[in-house]
Amino acid sequence: MSFILGTVLFVVVIGILDARLPWPRSKGGSR
Amino acid sequence: MIAGHFGFAAAIKSRTPTAPLWALMLACVWLDIVFVPLLAAGIESIDSVPGAPKGAYGASIIHADYTHSLLGAIILSALFGLAFLGRYARNTAFVLGLVVMSHWLLDLPMHRRDMPLLPGGIDPVRLGFGLWRWPVASALVELALVVVGAALYWRAVEALTATHPEKRTLGRVCAVSVLAAGLLTLALGGLGS
Repeated sequence: MSFILGTVLFVVVIGILDARLPWPRSKGGSR
Repeated sequence: MIAGHFGFAAAIKSRTPTAPLWALMLACVWLDIVFVPLLAAGIESIDSVPGAPKGAYGASIIHADYTHSLLGAIILSALFGLAFLGRYARNTAFVLGLVVMSHWLLDLPMHRRDMPLLPGGIDPVRLGFGLWRWPVASALVELALVVVGAALYWRAVEALTATHPEKRTLGRVCAVSVLAAGLLTLALGGLGS
């Protein structure tokens, strides 16, 4: 339960919110 | 340990801002995520310490010779990092691979002796320093990882949004969410769920 909830919260919810912040972009081969 | 891994990943985000947070969070529990289908297939398993309630905090013994062996963790870390090559810069992919590996290193002091060096059950050596025998101490270590990780992430977000004030509220929401989600995950784990 804690594993599933933690993964969903951190990877999906907070991950989506954090992606809207202006962090510097990583420059990869296809970018 | 679950919450502690997420705290560690938040701390890494503050040092490697080019790595997306979702990928860092995925990386820090990747060994456990791969463990799930192997558990369902009966290839790996998890038991409780004799006499302990099922699922009690720190009372698990894993039989995870593929996902939680040293060599298995190294292979899974390399594969994870390689999956991000091309889309992200080499150093970012390298950091993501290292964060996968951090799972094994952070589990090592916690687990009872159930982590082998080699996959496949061919290795009689089992590693783990057994801090889980003292659940309060284990939980405090996890709590420290969550609090320090959230604090470092908060600091990085504050520095980032100093030049983007329109994003300051969102940044603070993210940082508080990291702390709240970490505490919630730790509390649920402590309750044995």
